[in-house]
Amino acid sequence: MDRPMVSHSSSVTARNYRLLAIPAAILVLVTAIIPLVVLSTTVVRSSDIISIWQNSAVQKALVFSVWQALVSTIFTILIGLIATWYLTRYQFRGRQALIALITVSFVLPTVAVGASFIAVLPTWLHHSTFAIVVAHVFFNISIVVRTVGPRWNSIHEDLVNCAHTLGATSLQTWRYVILPLGKSAIYSSAALTFFMCFTSYGIITILGGPGLATLDIEIYRRAVQLGDLSGATVLAVAQMLFITIAFLIWSRSRSVELMTFRVSAVSQRRLAIVPKIFIGAVTIFFLAPLLALSIASFHSGQNWSLSGWKVLLGIQNQRGLELDIWQALQTSGKYALIASCIALPTGIAATYALTKNGSTNSRWSSLAILPLAISPVVVGLAILVTYDFAPFEFRSSWFLIPIVHASIAMPFVVRAALPVVQGIPAELRSAAATLGASPWKRFCLVEMPLLRPAITTGVAFSVAISLGEFGATSFLTRRESQTLPIIIADLFGKAGAIPRASGMAASLLLVIVTAIIVLSVDRKPRV
Amino acid sequence: MSLVIDNISFSYGDRNILRSFTLQVPTGSTTAVVGPSGSGKSTLLRIIAGLLTPTTGTIILNSQDISHVPTHLRSVGMVFQDNQLFPHLNVYDNVAFGLRMAKVDKRVIAERCQGLLDLVGLTEAAKQSVSTLSGGEAKRVALARALAPSPQVLLLDEPLTGLDNQLHDRLAQDLQRILHATSTTALLVTHLIPEAEVISDVIHHLVNQSQQEGVGQ
Repeated sequence: MDRPMVSHSSSVTARNYRLLAIPAAILVLVTAIIPLVVLSTTVVRSSDIISIWQNSAVQKALVFSVWQALVSTIFTILIGLIATWYLTRYQFRGRQALIALITVSFVLPTVAVGASFIAVLPTWLHHSTFAIVVAHVFFNISIVVRTVGPRWNSIHEDLVNCAHTLGATSLQTWRYVILPLGKSAIYSSAALTFFMCFTSYGIITILGGPGLATLDIEIYRRAVQLGDLSGATVLAVAQMLFITIAFLIWSRSRSVELMTFRVSAVSQRRLAIVPKIFIGAVTIFFLAPLLALSIASFHSGQNWSLSGWKVLLGIQNQRGLELDIWQALQTSGKYALIASCIALPTGIAATYALTKNGSTNSRWSSLAILPLAISPVVVGLAILVTYDFAPFEFRSSWFLIPIVHASIAMPFVVRAALPVVQGIPAELRSAAATLGASPWKRFCLVEMPLLRPAITTGVAFSVAISLGEFGATSFLTRRESQTLPIIIADLFGKAGAIPRASGMAASLLLVIVTAIIVLSVDRKPRV
Repeated sequence: MSLVIDNISFSYGDRNILRSFTLQVPTGSTTAVVGPSGSGKSTLLRIIAGLLTPTTGTIILNSQDISHVPTHLRSVGMVFQDNQLFPHLNVYDNVAFGLRMAKVDKRVIAERCQGLLDLVGLTEAAKQSVSTLSGGEAKRVALARALAPSPQVLLLDEPLTGLDNQLHDRLAQDLQRILHATSTTALLVTHLIPEAEVISDVIHHLVNQSQQEGVGQ
């Protein structure tokens, strides 16, 4: 029986553990809950609550948000599940590299992903639903691999063999054994993918166009371009409510799987020819956009050229393109550093509060996944509106951005740390205590070393998320302190071959930095 | 002869696991292959089930060469060492699995499953989750499940390993009774000679990839 051992001391410390959730609660309160409440209560004109939905642009955005998210989710799940099966059950050359590639794709800056697909797709597909769906599949397959992978990984090979000895064909084995065993993980990844696509912003900023706007784009357009803060707020709050309610209903009916960032053991079986072709195609699908991005950064129009890089690096001047890439790099770096310094301790402390001495409080840990689904655009807008009056007039303060980044990154830290913290046996702490270690010493000498993988992963993902964050930043950014993703979006908004090449170059720069950071901690998945 | 294993060899890398192994299993009887761990017993069963491909040799089941027939079409039942019950299905659905794969009529499935659950003494446990079963009960479910599609031969991989002494002896006798009652052609591999003696009619010894035949009971 896996009954947790309950001792007198653990019931006392359980309360202390709960106190560790306070920093995380403050962070969420300040960056999400207060702004959202303020937003929904201050700027809304009551007439807009009904009338905004009669606006044809809003209706179109709503319909498009839903259907592109549905199509994207279906394809992500279909391709993702097959890829997951081969990645988790078979040994083949390049397997680890492919897992790393898929991992990196999820934390790549969304605007850079958009740029990559501009680079790889023919011009007539640039601003199309097809491009958007394909980019969403690229971006979200990682969710499926990382959620369903560990589940399928744990299926004993003989369980599959057993189904075959009972007369099940491969297809029947999939239908009656493999899919049911991954069911809850599959539902989780499908729901998360849907939410991610529904609130997609960076990718659609680059790949969208007339008639291809999501609700998030419409919110931004209303708030910033039309100055209709009331209308934008109605949309933002409605979207928030929809996602939260959908999430709560869904998480009540089934246990929410937490994304884990490692895909481990495999059998020694070799891939047959058809799966090999499939895996090859998936590899090309993940590599081609990034390769095309590199090539496009060295092109100006039809010709090879260094102009894009020269303008980006300030070596060559281009009228109408006053870029300060060094400033942007500095700003991005500074924000990333601050964000991870906030997200890491807050997230680790929250993880301890969640695990409460070893046993996870599933209701709360399922909430840890919610921030992923909430649109950063809505958060950005809410903060802009909230911190606009004395004594809280922070909207033009630079420090607001890294704090928001930290609150977006924190769930990732929790997810990386949760399995690690759960894996630390309670007896280990007890053993240290019987050897005379004080609680603080127990933490420093026993738990910290064991937490190291979670800490490095947490830092890497916080930095990567901060570097690539676009939705909230696009509302809060100042002219003199732009981040790299903002500059990329600006460049793609300008006409001409050189801004485009510079945009590609900046995207490549961001992709490389992100990939190095993530791969440096994730390059050796446990085998 | 129901099952004929003819000149089977199998190697893993440089290691010879089985070398020119030959064995005949008479119809309706239980044959045991006894050998120490690492002697290739489990490999032998996996080859017969089609889960491994032998380097050389043929497998003939009821006069038909099944060497190249895929596992799901072989009509070979197998009880795995650690049972491998489907964790997402209850006891009844586990037993019914093979019949459902063969698209057998629902009423026939119900009848057959009921009969088998009665036979293994788990009539009451039909709706129970397999995670709640004891070691002995789980083994009985695995046996009933393997018998349900009426395989032409049943393979048992160390069927009583991991059970405590008392349970072990009782289940060995039950197993013998059930196999006898169903006139099942069975091939059992084990490292315990007493176990083989209770369950089987014929015993083969598998030692260092060479075989000697002895007759038990």
